[in-house]
Amino acid sequence: MDNDTTIKTENLSKAYRSFWGRKKILALDKLNIDIKKGEIFGLLGPNGSGKTTTLKLLLGLIFPTEGRALVLGKTTNDVDVKNRIGFLPEESCFYRFLNADEILDFYGQLFKISRKERKARIDRLIEQVGLGLARKRPLRQYSKGMLRRIGIAQALINDPDLIILDEPTSGLDPIGTRETKDIILALKERRKTVLLCSHLLSDVQDICDRVAILDKGKLQISGTIDELLSSKDVVEVLIRNLSDEAISEVETFIKERHGEVISVKNSSDTLEGLFLKIYAANINNSKTDV
Amino acid sequence: MQQILIIAKQTFKEAVRNKILFVFIILGLITICCSVFMPVVGDGREKIRIVESMCFRSITFFGTLAAILLSASSIPTDIENRVLCTITTKPVQRTNIVFGKIIGFIYIIGVLLIIMGGAGYALIKFTASKQSAQGNSKLLAREKFDPYTSQVTGESVRKIGNVSWVEGGGKGTSVWKFKGLHSKDRKDGLEIEIDFLVESKKRSTRKIPINIKAVNPYTAKVLTESIEVSRNKPGLLKLGSEFLEGGEELTIVVSPENPGDFIGISSNSIRVFFGNKSFEYNFLKGLTIISSQFLLMVIIAVLGSTFLSLPVNILFCLFIFFCGNITDFMRDLSTVINVFETHEHGHGISTVLKKTNVFVVFLDYVIRKPLFLLSYILPDLKNFSVGKYFVDGINIPYKTVFMSFGYAVLYAVFCLPISFVVFRRREIA
Ligand SMILES: Nc1ncnc2c1ncn2[C@@H]1O[C@H](COP(=O)(O)OP(=O)(O)O)[C@@H](O)[C@H]1O
Ligand SMILES: [Mg+2]
Repeated sequence: MDNDTTIKTENLSKAYRSFWGRKKILALDKLNIDIKKGEIFGLLGPNGSGKTTTLKLLLGLIFPTEGRALVLGKTTNDVDVKNRIGFLPEESCFYRFLNADEILDFYGQLFKISRKERKARIDRLIEQVGLGLARKRPLRQYSKGMLRRIGIAQALINDPDLIILDEPTSGLDPIGTRETKDIILALKERRKTVLLCSHLLSDVQDICDRVAILDKGKLQISGTIDELLSSKDVVEVLIRNLSDEAISEVETFIKERHGEVISVKNSSDTLEGLFLKIYAANINNSKTDV
Repeated sequence: MQQILIIAKQTFKEAVRNKILFVFIILGLITICCSVFMPVVGDGREKIRIVESMCFRSITFFGTLAAILLSASSIPTDIENRVLCTITTKPVQRTNIVFGKIIGFIYIIGVLLIIMGGAGYALIKFTASKQSAQGNSKLLAREKFDPYTSQVTGESVRKIGNVSWVEGGGKGTSVWKFKGLHSKDRKDGLEIEIDFLVESKKRSTRKIPINIKAVNPYTAKVLTESIEVSRNKPGLLKLGSEFLEGGEELTIVVSPENPGDFIGISSNSIRVFFGNKSFEYNFLKGLTIISSQFLLMVIIAVLGSTFLSLPVNILFCLFIFFCGNITDFMRDLSTVINVFETHEHGHGISTVLKKTNVFVVFLDYVIRKPLFLLSYILPDLKNFSVGKYFVDGINIPYKTVFMSFGYAVLYAVFCLPISFVVFRRREIA
């Protein structure tokens, strides 16, 4: 494992077992990914595809049934390495009777951050996630979006090198989403590594350097956004202010040169299109399996 | 270490803020206070006894209930609420999380004990001062001595079970010997409590006269007294402390006066009390023993909570609490089944079934053996009952305090490592 790799998984697999120890669900099937230092990596997939499972395996909350994962060069059971990780869980639930200040202070203490430093960081983070007005209210009075924000703040309390975010924008309003994306991009500027998972494609498309798409626990495809979206034999020509006659002239020209016009409309392939394409292909596959 | 204390503090805070702790404290205080209004037959001492016993009972009951419910629910609730999901991703050993929780529960129980114990103590003092007008209201913590030998002699001695029967009229005597009777506080003198079973050939008599002889083996000083004893009311003989002059030993000889009267004696039929110790210390010792029981229940509840779900764990703890109070009964039950089985084997028809009686085999493996085993694995909570000391006004020996604390520690030594290992391998999903 070279210095540049932050996360590496080798055949990482997880089968949830029933109470009696029988295999129930193969939630993750032989996942191999590499995440480099300083990149924003997006894990994509429909609900139940194993994204959260992957993150929990990386954090040592659950244990793999096969394979292994190295995070910052250590196995997942290493406690010290957690000093350098920040995690936002899928559902942000905290001690309900504490207020924002207290919960951040509690986590800060677990990291053994000094009192003065803790105070400064808490002030800064609460400002950053926009909870300045609500910081003295107990968390049980918070809305889902506010809990999400406090969740992001607690993930950053230790100024981590690796930030793992499970659906960071779920439950946030558009402004909150924008702010969260800005926070993530700011982290990238400071050479931090971010691993996030989401089913919201626009989030991923906006900020991720590389993505991996999971479906039913299997890695379908991975690479940079550009790689994934470009097709080698398809050229996209974006034209503005062209009359209809001119467009048909262009079409005839292409046909003369034995090209094939796929479509002529105001469209561009998006991640969403790709996503649906993969998902549809899988459904077709499973149909033929039956 | 620092992290353990942080988690402990957090656990305590949570219990305070969701007010469960106060519900228990208030319920406990109410029952303690109710004891003042209980109607009493008897003298002032009787009233104090009732208050004392109610005080310790309610501290034990509500304290144990609070210990079980709080510590059994904490970890499962945290997992359910995904709170542990974030804490375990911080650089905290999972062992420290469990440890911190336990320390937190100890804080909580400490608060409960201080509040309820303080209230109980104040109430007992208050009752005692109110009764002082009628005299006989001292808060007792008498030092109790057991005989080092006891023997029965005579022609008509019969032993049935644990009880030896001695007939009067010179046909038998019983002798108890005590030593090490020393006390700083000598002004109250010795009290000898006599508690016999009583039978008489004359059916109508409930009370029989007996002769008691107290002997100082050094000075050969003898004091003879004749008192009447009945089955339910222990006799009491008082001696001045000067009787012990020259040594710290005492011999007591007892026999019924008339032939045809019997006394049934067992090893603890005669108890000698000498000297009154501080009630305050005794109260503290009582609380220490009770808190050992709380500790024990916390440890069991935490063990359960590392692998059981919340409702199952609470049931598990209540089951252990219940069985812990009846381990003797379970042991007896298992021997009853045993007797039944050998009986079946011994006689007539059942000899035919000797090898193949499925029912007996079933009984043996499914009920008797597990019961027997359980009665030894489960904590015997009788070791922690302190009410009887206060009702009788007896000083609790330090040995008892250490034994009960040691008992809890012994369980901790076995259960905590299991909890740690189980929790380390637990998936926090
Ligand atoms: N604790 C669990 N026990 C059993 N099955 C689980 C558990 N957690 C998740 N699963 C299953 O594993 C699969 C992947 O879940 P998850 O990783 O949460 O998906 P997502 O990609 O939506 O985050 C799902 O089929 C889910 O039902
Ligand atoms: Mg998920």
